[in-house]
Amino acid sequence: MPEQLWFTQVLNSVFAGPVTSLLRALHIEPKYPAAPIPNSFAMEFLVFVFLLILFFLVRARLSVDRPGALQHAFEGVEGFIQGQSNEIIGHHSEGYTPFLASLFFFILFCNLIGVIPSFESPTAVPIVPLGCALCAFFYYQVQGFKHAGIGYLKHFAGPMPALAPLMIPIELISHLARVLSLTIRLFANMFAGDMVTLVFFSLVPIGVPIVFLGLHIGVSFLQTYIFVLLTTVYLQGAVADEH
Amino acid sequence: MGKLSKLFMALSVLSFAVPAFAQGEAMSGTNWVAIAAGFSMAFASGICALAQGKATAAAAESLARNPAARPGIQLALILGLALIESLALYTLVIIFAKVK
Repeated sequence: MPEQLWFTQVLNSVFAGPVTSLLRALHIEPKYPAAPIPNSFAMEFLVFVFLLILFFLVRARLSVDRPGALQHAFEGVEGFIQGQSNEIIGHHSEGYTPFLASLFFFILFCNLIGVIPSFESPTAVPIVPLGCALCAFFYYQVQGFKHAGIGYLKHFAGPMPALAPLMIPIELISHLARVLSLTIRLFANMFAGDMVTLVFFSLVPIGVPIVFLGLHIGVSFLQTYIFVLLTTVYLQGAVADEH
Repeated sequence: MGKLSKLFMALSVLSFAVPAFAQGEAMSGTNWVAIAAGFSMAFASGICALAQGKATAAAAESLARNPAARPGIQLALILGLALIESLALYTLVIIFAKVK
């Protein structure tokens, strides 16, 4: 049996049967049939449920005359992301704010949940940042096609049509490398933060690990901001009008 | 003495380790992967620190020259620092993938 967090144990005790049957129906044999839900998925699910409750709360308490603290906080985040996409993408960037804001909230809370004892950051396993990076990748590609139709493919051909045979493989590889770099940047920051906390915890158990908890919180915010910023920059590359 | 000759002198010290290969397969191996991992991580972190120092210095200087451009400079600085940082992190990931 793998090492499970208490929340994972709760989920597995309730859902192990259905989840294992579902996985087997897809011809995937779980490594531990009694505990098919890994820690990372359980944590992601917890963040998802928390965010859902948070969004419903904000929605229920929206008010023009007397905005509460929650509304102020969300307006702040929305203003920040919209201001940034306006600065980077330019006009008509309001349509991208919902996705960017959701990405922001999800990655932020996934990162931060590791600070609470007996929970761990799902972004510290490689598959979760890969999921976020793939979402961002497909989002900006789809937005590029929506904006320019099939002419979006001209972006891959480079500045001059004569250079196209050289540029196309380079551009394809660089676009795929974006997924890789987004994934590894987020994963390695979170994972290295955990490792460093462990190392210093094994050296000096009292006092010093607090510094690393603070570092974890700081890095969580910074890496979330960087992820959203880079997604915005990639969006700009995809939907920019060159006139 | 030029910088290049100093560099070559430092690198030639590495060749002093060549006799170790003369021992053949009898030894229960020293973990060369771990040693190489240590050196490569130190190298990656050092070069990353140099690059980030350059980026920060340029940002600070441009901020001093033109404080009104702070949002743009801040954006460029944070983006640049994170991208440089990620290059050092690639080395760390390889270490965790390859060192037993």
